[in-house]
Amino acid sequence: MLVLSRHRDETIMLGDDIEVTVVDIRGDKVRLGIRAPEAVTVHRKEIWEAIRQENERAASSETIPQFAGEQSPQLRIAPAGVSKRKA
Amino acid sequence: MYLMSNLEIETTRFGKVTVDGDRVLDFPSGLLGFAHATRWVLLQPDEEGCFYWFQSCDQEDLAFVVTDPQYWVPDFEAIIRREQLEELGANQIEDAQVFVIVNRYQDTLTANLQGPLVVGTASRRGMQLVLAEKRWTTRHVIVELEAASAARTA
Repeated sequence: MLVLSRHRDETIMLGDDIEVTVVDIRGDKVRLGIRAPEAVTVHRKEIWEAIRQENERAASSETIPQFAGEQSPQLRIAPAGVSKRKA
Repeated sequence: MYLMSNLEIETTRFGKVTVDGDRVLDFPSGLLGFAHATRWVLLQPDEEGCFYWFQSCDQEDLAFVVTDPQYWVPDFEAIIRREQLEELGANQIEDAQVFVIVNRYQDTLTANLQGPLVVGTASRRGMQLVLAEKRWTTRHVIVELEAASAARTA
């Protein structure tokens, strides 16, 4: 990992068109300003990671077949071949 | 002229499924953690159910249970940027549809409200959003299964 020191109001460039500026520093909290093209998505990593993990879990074979076999009134999964045996 | 034909998809859970080619949903960036899975179909288990299977056309054992969040969380809102909406070929919010992925934790079914799936109705192009708002979590409880089974046996 590249580590850079920056003061308040200083910026780093990522490639040609992404700017990350240190806007404010207070104690252990740093506020960053990010300027990036619209096509670039910027997320807090912990949120991104939580969603990724939730996707993984929802797709895992342990979760879904059980769930499909459940006879909840709202969960009448009709297609053949859906059963706990598939787990 | 481009003719849409039927598409046969191999699936682990449902065997071979035939769908209209124009029902395939295109997710150019895949889903978080599943970037390779760009083509999906929504399978409706029954006419009245509110859960669907979101089945990958690229990987036969990859499928999610999804639902319409409006049904469970009427005040749910997914914030989408104008550019994202345009990527989906939608001009206005009404041209897009939202689904959320369902998970199970013990005796509850949860919905990932923080990472909803949005699909442009006309383009059939979709993406998974990452909502910054902390109000919506990845594990929003929508169904208590124990209560459901108790009601059934009563």
